[in-house]
Amino acid sequence: MFDKETLDKSVEALAKWSEEYKRISTKFANPPVNAVTPKTNSDIPIRNCYFPHDIEDIDFTDIGAPGSYPFTRGNLATQYQFMGWANQPVIGYGLPEHTRERMDLLASEGMIGYFGSYFYNLVYDLVSHEGIDPDHPGAKGRVGQCGMAVYSVEDMARLFEGMDLSKINVVHITSYQVIPVLAQYIAYARTQGIDASELRGNTMNWYHKSAFDGMSCFPPDQGLKLAVELVAFCSKNMPRWNTTNFFGYEIEEAGGSAVQEIGFVLAAAVSLTKACIKAGLSADVFLKRFGFQFSQANDFFEQIAKIRAFRKIWARTMHERFGASDHHALQARIHTHTSGAVLTAQQPLVNLIRTSIHALGAVLSGTQAMEVSAYDEALAIPTLDAATLSLRVQQVIEEETNVTAVSDPLAGSWYVESLTDQLAKQALALVKEIESMGGYIEAELNGWIRAEIETSAAKWRDGVDTGNIKVVGLNSHVSQDEDRSDTFAVPAETEQIAKERMAKLKETRDKERFEKAMERFSIAAKQFSTKALESLGDNQLMEAAIDAASAYATTGEMMSVLKEACGWGPPHRK
Amino acid sequence: MDKIKVLLAKPTQDSHDRGVRYLSHKLVQEGFEVVFINFLFVKEIVEVATEEDVAVIGISSSSGGHMPIFEELTKQLKESDKNDILVVGGGIISAQDGKLLEDMGVKKIFGPGSSSAEIVDFIRSNAPLHDHDSKAQISK
Repeated sequence: MFDKETLDKSVEALAKWSEEYKRISTKFANPPVNAVTPKTNSDIPIRNCYFPHDIEDIDFTDIGAPGSYPFTRGNLATQYQFMGWANQPVIGYGLPEHTRERMDLLASEGMIGYFGSYFYNLVYDLVSHEGIDPDHPGAKGRVGQCGMAVYSVEDMARLFEGMDLSKINVVHITSYQVIPVLAQYIAYARTQGIDASELRGNTMNWYHKSAFDGMSCFPPDQGLKLAVELVAFCSKNMPRWNTTNFFGYEIEEAGGSAVQEIGFVLAAAVSLTKACIKAGLSADVFLKRFGFQFSQANDFFEQIAKIRAFRKIWARTMHERFGASDHHALQARIHTHTSGAVLTAQQPLVNLIRTSIHALGAVLSGTQAMEVSAYDEALAIPTLDAATLSLRVQQVIEEETNVTAVSDPLAGSWYVESLTDQLAKQALALVKEIESMGGYIEAELNGWIRAEIETSAAKWRDGVDTGNIKVVGLNSHVSQDEDRSDTFAVPAETEQIAKERMAKLKETRDKERFEKAMERFSIAAKQFSTKALESLGDNQLMEAAIDAASAYATTGEMMSVLKEACGWGPPHRK
Repeated sequence: MDKIKVLLAKPTQDSHDRGVRYLSHKLVQEGFEVVFINFLFVKEIVEVATEEDVAVIGISSSSGGHMPIFEELTKQLKESDKNDILVVGGGIISAQDGKLLEDMGVKKIFGPGSSSAEIVDFIRSNAPLHDHDSKAQISK
């Protein structure tokens, strides 16, 4: 990338710098670790100063231009100059009306998506995640907690009342209840005269996360098929719908390193891509609607390099291995979730400083959308004030700092380019290692993915407990605990009202129509569970799910059918 | 001396298991015997606690909804004559809830940021002296 003269001068400059560095370092009897053996949070060895020759082996085509293959520098040539990233704070608690109130309040505070349209990033509650209803004994205490109590088309009507679904973008944050929830959303849209093809938004399709969390789930082979079913249905019927969100964020939250986050995500995406191709889908069609959710955590430059590295390895892998050539298929569209795991309950306002730094990093990395964690998230569901301040973090960066004037402003930094290259290489090595085990599902079943992340998590926590890793307010600059009386609580009446509504729904819906639709859904689910990947793609399961949802089947009822047909239980490890 | 046996339990819907999995690993390192479960119903905790004859139950909750779990747990332990078991909790549990829980008989709540050393020390000094059941006697 540099001519010989520049490289010679670079080596010369390094020599001068080294000499000076040594001279100063001799004055310190106990030099800090980072002054002697610097490394990133992912344990990637780095240098204390970078020079052009540090990146002489990188081919410039690996870096390129924003908006061009391999998209290391971002998906768009115009980056944020004409339009900012989408504000996507996670919203969801209590009854649908409670959630709606906050959606409207944040929208009135300037929360905005692309082209001036409204985006809503909605999370379902613990009861929905378990695939049960509020009248189930296992739901006690969990209704409207950590998400909204939405379980049927009727609840969707309460949530979206008066909104034109063809004009908004809705992200449905679910766990394994994604098919029932999407079916309900489509069924609700139909009652409003809106066809599925007009809907914009995102489903999570998060079956791959059973490799790294402990929630009850479908067996991974069935989960993969369910993911393909959704992708197949949307590819045919919902061209504007983003089908799958690869969940890097949870890998980081579970304690995984930056390399693990992008490496495991790429491995999961390769696994789903192979499965979709087996089911007869075209990579150029379905890849366009894959998206990614990554964390932005504490190691500022490593986190930026992580995102740049991922865009590159995504484009190259999908092009070189799967023959994708459409630009949109090769662009990794990334939603940033600033890290919640590194926030503290101690001195909670300090979290605003942390999240501001994370959010700035995300912007410098060229993200497409962002959720900034609220400063009180280590205490409870965010209060409205905390949620508004999180939105303000995004707005201040966008409107006051002028960082949006330049696309990929860190490009060409010898450090950032070198780190981007190293992260890309290590992540690809991780993908290779998983494939040598037989693939993502094998690495899930043998517990390897989970164990690798836990080892990384333990190393971090040991570091915090011994004080080698500093956390301000926790093991460094500790002060007296503050008053935390203003933490948020889900309105007390939520559970009772949700139960009453559920009872009324089950009593008043057209029983005959409901039973007929549920029978169809059960048969489709049973057939689905025995099918091989190659024979997926007829969408009988998804069509039957929409029919059941239209007959007011609840999330719990539909999930019971899927659990029965496909199997359900703790994460499967051999 | 016999190892202190600890049951760590987390609701199935609560994906935030980083802390409790780390604690499990730490307790084993510190010479405890650990059983880990994800539960939907409180009776699952009581059943496993009885079967495994544990001295300590630790509930991890980071997604809210912990109050009814502890209420039900302390009630069921009492009913099955197991209220000598030390019950502790950890996760995203407010100080306010912590006070209510202590009144309920939950011995200690470890909030966000608690170190494993704190928890290990607390369990070590507060776990009941344990008469192992006959099954355990025979196996010795």
